[in-house]
Amino acid sequence: MTLEVKALSKQINGQSIIDDISFKWAPGEIIGLVGRNGVGKTTLFRTMMNHYVPDHGEVVVDDQNLAQVSVKQREVFFLDTQYNFLSNYSLKELPDFFGIVYPQFDRQRYTELLRHFDLNAGSQYRRLSKGMRALVNVILALTSNATYLILDEPFDGLDVIVRENIATMVIDEVADQQKGFLISSHDLNELDGLSDRVLLLKESKLVHDYNLEDVRASAKKIQLVLRDKTIPDVLKAHSQLIRVSGRVLVVVITDYTDAIDQQLRALDPVLLEELPLTLEDLFRANLAHDTGYQLLK
Amino acid sequence: MQKQLNKLIWRRHRRLFGLIGGLSLLVALSNVVVVLHTLSNENNVHELVSNKINQWQIYDTNEFSAYSFWLYFAFWMLGFVLMNTDLKDNFNQFLFSSGFTRRRVYWTKLGMGLGAAIVVAALTIAFQCGIFWVSLPASVGFHLAWPGLLTSWASGLACSIGFFAICWFAALIIGQTGALAITVIGFSLSLTGVMNIVESIFGKTGMGLNSTQFSWLWAGISLVAALILFVWGAYLYPRLSLEHNGEYLLFPGLKVPVYIVFVVYVTFLNAWNAADGTSAVIAFLVSVAFGYFWLWRPSIMAKWHERRSRS
Repeated sequence: MTLEVKALSKQINGQSIIDDISFKWAPGEIIGLVGRNGVGKTTLFRTMMNHYVPDHGEVVVDDQNLAQVSVKQREVFFLDTQYNFLSNYSLKELPDFFGIVYPQFDRQRYTELLRHFDLNAGSQYRRLSKGMRALVNVILALTSNATYLILDEPFDGLDVIVRENIATMVIDEVADQQKGFLISSHDLNELDGLSDRVLLLKESKLVHDYNLEDVRASAKKIQLVLRDKTIPDVLKAHSQLIRVSGRVLVVVITDYTDAIDQQLRALDPVLLEELPLTLEDLFRANLAHDTGYQLLK
Repeated sequence: MQKQLNKLIWRRHRRLFGLIGGLSLLVALSNVVVVLHTLSNENNVHELVSNKINQWQIYDTNEFSAYSFWLYFAFWMLGFVLMNTDLKDNFNQFLFSSGFTRRRVYWTKLGMGLGAAIVVAALTIAFQCGIFWVSLPASVGFHLAWPGLLTSWASGLACSIGFFAICWFAALIIGQTGALAITVIGFSLSLTGVMNIVESIFGKTGMGLNSTQFSWLWAGISLVAALILFVWGAYLYPRLSLEHNGEYLLFPGLKVPVYIVFVVYVTFLNAWNAADGTSAVIAFLVSVAFGYFWLWRPSIMAKWHERRSRS
């Protein structure tokens, strides 16, 4: 079972918004989609979901083109956070719609999750706060029981506790390898510890497809306190500077080898310790110069 | 699959159907109450429906109309709202990724919309006759006959479907509700001008039509036009891309053809009905300028705002 996006392109008013995007996505994966605001993340989702008619390319689920075999669309869930029809309905009415489209929609779990998050089923969607709406969107996604779940900036407006709850639920959902998530965000911290793969969009194109496990296996974040203020050649050659404060340096070395380790110890630093490596560190180290990531936040 | 889609469309639009049905019954009730009030002030014994109801002709008098004028408006409104609300409420997004083909969605929505409109019409007519039946003063007789009723219903229904189709199609290609309302109101009103032209063409060719023949001609034209618009809509609907939501035309490729048709239509209509060269020239110039502004106004306004902010 795989979902494959093949050479998807979309222009709006003569301007290319997404250009030749291709990737594969299997159940069990949590893929992060990152890129600056306006880079085309939501347009990619809308084009994948047939809201926008693509100029080129196709989305294929189990070798069947979604545009030709419409019923396959039911294996993919996407709720447009900006343009959706939910505003005119109360929360208890929503399963009536989603239950028709998603055959495995779990009404009981939907009600339980509403109760769990203190959401009143009688409330009108439009009267909810931004965070509550985001929460309802995620609840609908989880209870749809579709195989491929697309979440567009799902943590936007959520408080820390709810965010952690949602992240835990997402991780639990993929545990049995039956579901996959594609989560867009402009804040890498939100995806940290959640995604195992990250796609990076830049200037309408998919410029990188990272497997984080591989990247993490060879990278280290090191804090060093040197005896003088000169930055040694080994660091200039192999590391990306994350922070400098006097003689204290924080660096990420993307390809950490024994040879580099020996060279660092040979400098006889006052302090050399390993720090936890975050997704943000990795992207800074890998892409600071060629992705514009420094402008992401 | 079809059953699920019926359920989805019904769930989505049942409030609208109920609203138009309720409104229709209310209008019928108020019309009947006005007639009953007038009749209660008269003491002469007479029939509410004249003998003309026995003829195969459209029956329409001040006291009793076999097919109320309101029903044209009910069809008009249903065609408009049914297509426009799904665009404006972003229900199209849900429909387009719901697992049903767009073609199936289109025909199901159309079928259900037309079905609901016909049910509303039938209920309204039955309601109107029913109230007359039980509430007329003893001095007023109420006898109906099939020839007049069937003729009025068939002709009225055909024209109503025409109005439904005009609004349905317009709402499919126009992405701004206000502009859509102005467009379809303008076009619907302009049809009286078209009727005059058709009538005079037949008159000039020596095939003068009486009012009944003309009503049938009009009903036939309505049905053919409706069929063309429905099929054309079925072709366009699967090609609808929602990034143009909010623009006047949802299909940018139609901009130039719509402009040409608008200029030709307005010029021809005015030239024929006014029958002098000056009117034709004025109508041409006005339609050229107005049409250009109307269709390209977002960029015109954007350029104007840009220039104003620079100065």
